[in-house]
Order: sequence, then structure tokens, then C-alpha cells
Amino acid sequence: MENNIELKNVLKKYNDFELKNISFNVPQGCIVGLIGENGAGKTTTIKSILNITKSEGTVKIFGKDSKKNEKEIKEETGVVLDDSFLSEYLTAKQVNSIMKDFYKNWNENKYINLLKQFNLPTDKLIKDFSSGMKMKLKIATAISHNPKLLILDEPTSGLDPVVRNEILDIFRKYIEEDETRSILLSTHITTDLEHISDYIVFIEKGKIIFDLPTDELLENYGIIKCSKDDFTKLDENDYITYKKGKYQYEVLTKDKSVIKNKYNLMTIDKPSIEDIMLFYIKGEK
Amino acid sequence: MMKALLKKDLYNLATYKASLIIIILFCGIAIIGTDAINIAPAIICGIVGMISLSTFSYDEMSKSNRYILTLPTNKKELVREKYILVIGATVLGGILGMILTIIVVNIMNYLRTENIINLDYQSLIIVTIGGIFAISFLQSVQIPSIYKWGAEKGRIQMFILVLIIVAILGGMYFLINKANINIDMEMINNFITKFGIMLLIISTIVMYFISYKIAYKIYKNKEE
Repeated sequence: MENNIELKNVLKKYNDFELKNISFNVPQGCIVGLIGENGAGKTTTIKSILNITKSEGTVKIFGKDSKKNEKEIKEETGVVLDDSFLSEYLTAKQVNSIMKDFYKNWNENKYINLLKQFNLPTDKLIKDFSSGMKMKLKIATAISHNPKLLILDEPTSGLDPVVRNEILDIFRKYIEEDETRSILLSTHITTDLEHISDYIVFIEKGKIIFDLPTDELLENYGIIKCSKDDFTKLDENDYITYKKGKYQYEVLTKDKSVIKNKYNLMTIDKPSIEDIMLFYIKGEK
Repeated sequence: MMKALLKKDLYNLATYKASLIIIILFCGIAIIGTDAINIAPAIICGIVGMISLSTFSYDEMSKSNRYILTLPTNKKELVREKYILVIGATVLGGILGMILTIIVVNIMNYLRTENIINLDYQSLIIVTIGGIFAISFLQSVQIPSIYKWGAEKGRIQMFILVLIIVAILGGMYFLINKANINIDMEMINNFITKFGIMLLIISTIVMYFISYKIAYKIYKNKEE
């Protein structure tokens, strides 16, 4: 499988924060979710991919060096940033007029149709749009030049569940239209990823904690709920972290089948991505 | 790309449409009410030139540069576009001011045949170019300041820089006077009459060029 994004040992140092040797791939036909707390390094990683910030290491997009082939790569990439767009004082119609001069492949008809599909007014100033409308406009703008790669930074934050679902549907359709396309989606709302992502990359304090297929994560990981006695019997290598509750211990394991076979423990729950994230961040070992 | 960037800024500036028309009308009325008819081009080019700088505030409000840098463009084009916009607006302001002055004076002469104003076209051109020079000086200081400190802080820093420059020039003048150095004012006047316009135009171009180089160097190393 070819990769649309390849990151190798990406490093970025700030005074108070460091991105440490980030390496992962975004294969064609896949949606990769980049998860982590606020300030974990998701946006810095995206900025490094997009060459907005200077970082060390190798970033290849469509197999090409991202620094040497910047313009060529950007022609084939669509980007949605949570907190930034062209201007709040433009209308959707004016955005079209601007974007067609940015992209060689800008498809005006597709953009107008997307505006209609999303019920977005063409002559209203963006500053008067709701958060959901603004995000839909950003997405319509990002996909109207038929990019091979979509990079989305927190596209669902601050949106209600209905709009979030609509937006996730757009991403699903976009990836289904062409199997050479990919999406890199950074979010701290992990529930969004459970249904649409193929891989999850978890970043914590500038470091990758895991990079795994979503199915593997949801099927193999488990949360053991047990007493103190049972907990003390567990081999340290068989679990990742644990949380000490008032009446019981909760223990995160990578492979629940091993636990089932090795120990006589009955209560092993299927965790959500959020549970796993919280165990890694808050759990003890 | 340049066209797209210019469009974005011009659409933003369109919000100033009404204020700009009012200012131009106000200048027209001011021309009628005063003898200093030549000053209008300098005022209008000053206002238009400074309004064009407000696009930096729009960019800052929407954090638009971060987004724009994800599009097929780069920092060099972003800086270059700002200079094209600002220079274009200033020159256009000057030309608009000259046309307005000529129109208003001609209307006044038509209406008040007993009090004809003789418009000195040469001094009108000199004042316009002088106005463009003065505004270009402020912009040349302000644009790199904005790239360095941001739109709001940049304005304060610009005033400080202008004050420092004025203080240096004032100090030099004071020292020359104090040292009793005789300056041949007639020679200077002759020089200005002969080469003044050319000198102002060349100085304006050089100032913008140096300013662009500094602004790009600052922005190239800036994190968005």
C-alpha cells in the first residue's frame, strides 16, 4: 500500500515544548486519526507536515519531499484548520472568486453544489455564520479542487453531534469516491474516529505513544475490572497502566485474550478510544 | 497566486468603501473652503495608503496567514503582495487626489467667474509626489514593524521608530547650526528645483525596496 504521507523522525523544539522524533504514515485509501490532549503536539505535527513551521526530520507527501515540492504538493492537498481561514469579512461567493486563482484544479461547480448541499448562503459574511456553517464552508473550500489528501485540524471541535455527524459523512464520502485519497484528521473528540478511522496515532507530550489500526485497538485492548488481590497476581508485562478505584482496580491491557487465557478474570470490558487515551495519560504503572 | 491574495485584501478593504467616499467628499469640501488647494492629493493618498495597511489587522483577526500558507503560495509571495497593495493604494490615492482637485477647481471656476483660481499643475504634481514620499516613508517603517510585532504593537513601534528618526534628523540640524557650518541654501533650493521630483521618486523606490527586503527577512523566520 502506498503512503500519501510519510513522517520520519520529525523534531521540533520550542522553549516549553518539544516534538520528539515523530514517525508515522498515512496510507492511500485510509483515514488516520491523530489524537491527544490539547497541547500534546497534534497541531505542531500538522504544521510540520504542511511546512508552516520549520522542523527537522523527513516529511514526504505523495512520495515527494515536502520542502522541495511545496507548491506542487499543496495543489493536491486540502486543509481545514480549526482557528484559521481566509477572512471573516468575506462571503462564500468571494471565497470562490479567490480560491479559483489559488488552485489550478479549482472546480467552481463542485464548490457551488457543496454550498447548496450544506445550505450555506453565498452572500452573507462569514463572521455571521454559526460554528457549524463556518466549518462546512472550510470543508467545501478544502475539497473543491479534488485534492488527493485532506489534512484536518480539529474539524469537529465545538460542534453539536448532528453537525459533527454530517461532517463525518462528508469525509466518508470523500474517501469512498477515490481509493488513492487519504485523510489525516487531528482531534481530541475520539468518539468521532471510532467509526471512520482506519488507524489511530496517539501523541502525548510530543511523543507517539502508539500508531495502530483502529480495529486492533478496539478489538484487542481491554479494561480488566478486578479486586486488589487479583490485581497483585497480574504480571506487569501483561498490562499497560491501571487506575485504583474505591472498590476495585481498573487495568488496561493490550491483549484481552492473553489475560482471559492466563488468569481467571471474568470482567474484561471493551474500551473506547477515549478510555484508552485516558488510561495512558492518567493511569499508573 | 498574487491575484488571489490581492483579491482577498481588496474584498476586505471593500468594507471601507463608505468611509472612503465620505473622506473624499470631505476633502472636496475642504478644497472649496481653503486656499491650500494643492494639499488634497497628499491627504487622500495618505488616507488611502494608511487604510491599505489595515489589511494586516484583518489577517491577524482571522489568523489568515496560517491558512494561506497551506495553499499553493509561500511567504515571499505574501510579503510581495502586501507591498504591491500598499504601493498601488498610495499611488492611486495620489492620482485620485489630483483628479479631485482639478475637477473641484474647474467647477469652482465655472461657478465663481469673479474669483478664478489659477491651478499650478507643477506644484500640484510636486505636492502629490511629496505626499506619496511621506506616506511611503511611514509605510516602509510600519510594514516591517507589523511583521515583527503584529498589527497592533507594530503601530506603536512604528511611532517610536519615526520619533527616533525625527530626533536624529533634528539633532543633526541642531549640531550643524551649533557648529556654525554655513549651508548654501540657494544651492540647495536650486538642487531641489532641478532634481527634487526625481530625488523623491528614487528615494521612495529605494525605501520600499529596503523595507520589502527587511520585512521578508523578518517574516521568513516567523512562526505562524
